[in-house]
Amino acid sequence: MSPSSLRKSVEAVLSRRLLSDGGMAGRLGGPLHIDSTAWGVLALRASGGAHEVIEQLCTVLVREQHGDGRVCMNRANPASFWPTPLAVLAWQNSIASQAAQSRAVHFLLSTTGVHFPKQPTDPSAHDPNLKGWPWIEDTHSWVEPTALCVMALRVVGHGQHDRVREALRMILDRQLPHGGWNVGNTLVFGRELYPMPESTGAALVGLAGEVDQKQVARSIDYLQGEVDRLRTPISLGWSLLGLSAWDRWPANGLALVERCLANQGRYGGYDTSSLCLVALGALAGDSNAYSPLIQRRHSRPTSVAAAS
Amino acid sequence: MSDSTDQRSVNGLTRRQLLLAGAVGVAMGSGLLLVPKRLFRVPQHADTFVAKVADYQLDIADAITRGIRELGVRPEELRGKRILLKPNLVETASGAPHINTHPLVLRGAIEAFLRLGASAVMVAEGPGHRRDTLAVYEESGLADVLTEDRIPFHDLNYITGYDLPNAGRQSRLKTLTFPGLFQEVDWIVSVAKMKTHHWAGVTLSMKNLFGVMPGIYYGWPKNVLHHAGIENSILDINATLKPHFAIVDGIVGMEGDGPIMGDPKKVGVLVMGRNLAAVDATCCRIMGVDPYQVSYLERADNWLGPISERAIEQRGDLIASVRTNFNLIEAIPAHRGLRLT
Repeated sequence: MSPSSLRKSVEAVLSRRLLSDGGMAGRLGGPLHIDSTAWGVLALRASGGAHEVIEQLCTVLVREQHGDGRVCMNRANPASFWPTPLAVLAWQNSIASQAAQSRAVHFLLSTTGVHFPKQPTDPSAHDPNLKGWPWIEDTHSWVEPTALCVMALRVVGHGQHDRVREALRMILDRQLPHGGWNVGNTLVFGRELYPMPESTGAALVGLAGEVDQKQVARSIDYLQGEVDRLRTPISLGWSLLGLSAWDRWPANGLALVERCLANQGRYGGYDTSSLCLVALGALAGDSNAYSPLIQRRHSRPTSVAAAS
Repeated sequence: MSDSTDQRSVNGLTRRQLLLAGAVGVAMGSGLLLVPKRLFRVPQHADTFVAKVADYQLDIADAITRGIRELGVRPEELRGKRILLKPNLVETASGAPHINTHPLVLRGAIEAFLRLGASAVMVAEGPGHRRDTLAVYEESGLADVLTEDRIPFHDLNYITGYDLPNAGRQSRLKTLTFPGLFQEVDWIVSVAKMKTHHWAGVTLSMKNLFGVMPGIYYGWPKNVLHHAGIENSILDINATLKPHFAIVDGIVGMEGDGPIMGDPKKVGVLVMGRNLAAVDATCCRIMGVDPYQVSYLERADNWLGPISERAIEQRGDLIASVRTNFNLIEAIPAHRGLRLT
């Protein structure tokens, strides 16, 4: 698979999931999924997809936005606002979506998870007081939604905002002592928990360009050690993005993507968001190409202190 | 769930129970508030089945088939029915297969339900710790088994849901959102793992149902349920979903710092039953844990099912013949005082 054939196949695959009334199906033949629609925009942008299609998808995201700026999995469930940073990223460069994007940015900057001071008896090692963003309203902040919000707010020029700087400290605080991240727990009752490729990849994209490489060296090592064995799209997609953000995209990256795509027969077909994610990971192999998620400025001195 | 568990009305008490509570309350005066609510509930009864299965290479399908029959499940209850098996797939780690329900237990359950007349069996899970459900499916070894057996697997974390009023009313959650797939099946079977748990004390067939709540609405981990109270949420989910059957994989369980970091514990049993509270109470006794000291089981007693040894008719092998005390950790508050004496 060459990068150009990859771009064509991304467009072809996603075109079959476009819904007649706008938006992207969560699965082939399935109903609208908001996160899939946002991921679809990002994948189509990275692959040079048709402007009209991208704008149509952006319009659907605007249509589904709540009055306070949040974008949720469905309108009946306003607590599930985790697609909001995806929508902010999708709306970037869409002139017609600027007002919606501003509302979503305002929502993110005024929203956080449930946080509380660390108690001496707390069995969890991480600092629960460092603010990031949750998956779901009124819950704790976790690594992947926080990393996505960092990416989104950075893209719209809020990279130096206090919330983003604190979120970067929060992500660093959740890094496992031996490298890598999981959903966001480090040690519980004194035992270090296991890292996960998808969380590690997302965290590394969020931190790229913001912290010194030494601060994440063990995590990069962990991901480089894992990537060859990954066969599933979410793990592989985020891992390729995370490694690309630190100029470590593997030489066999496209072969890994091909193997992952070939596994669809075994799993019954991938959902649209997963396909978009692995496509973005594949396209990130071209370090000169546009990536809607990655900031490649990681050689500058650190501006974020490591959490103690 | 049996009919007897459907008597519940307001706040877990039927009219009869309220009258009984009132009468006892008059007798006890102000001491009423100090007496556990469960003492005023109408006693329930349930059957559980324990099968010795020394290792995963033995005929698990036969053991499960025998269990289902001995528990009195009638052929017409399964004939032509669609069965959803919900395993305990949490995450994977090299050298730690005891985190998850063993794939061969699922193969055995699939074969047993098909043998007994089910028209379709599927496996579905929404792991709480991994965003990448397929990775857990693959790395746990379950994908190899289900692909070979041509059994479908569904990612419950990513399925559009439907709301039900919270029938348990133990937490502040007014409704619970379940995967739409559940509206298309006849039986929901919790195929759990026998493990200690550092927040809940033990995780068995009832706690396993956290994994049915879609991550797209409950997060990764299922943090909405944590904030609503783990024990409250266990009770709410079970009271609302009313699962039909449970199978607990205790062939090799997990002791110590479960549900992830604990050590393997070979017990060599499968435990089954229609009533999940009774199944979990039986598992506790096998693990050397007093079910009355596990808060959510104590609260479930004679509401979601019986947990008293006298109220559970034991079929198959005797508990005493398979009891193997699981290591409990004093530094973990949820483990303190659990030991069955």
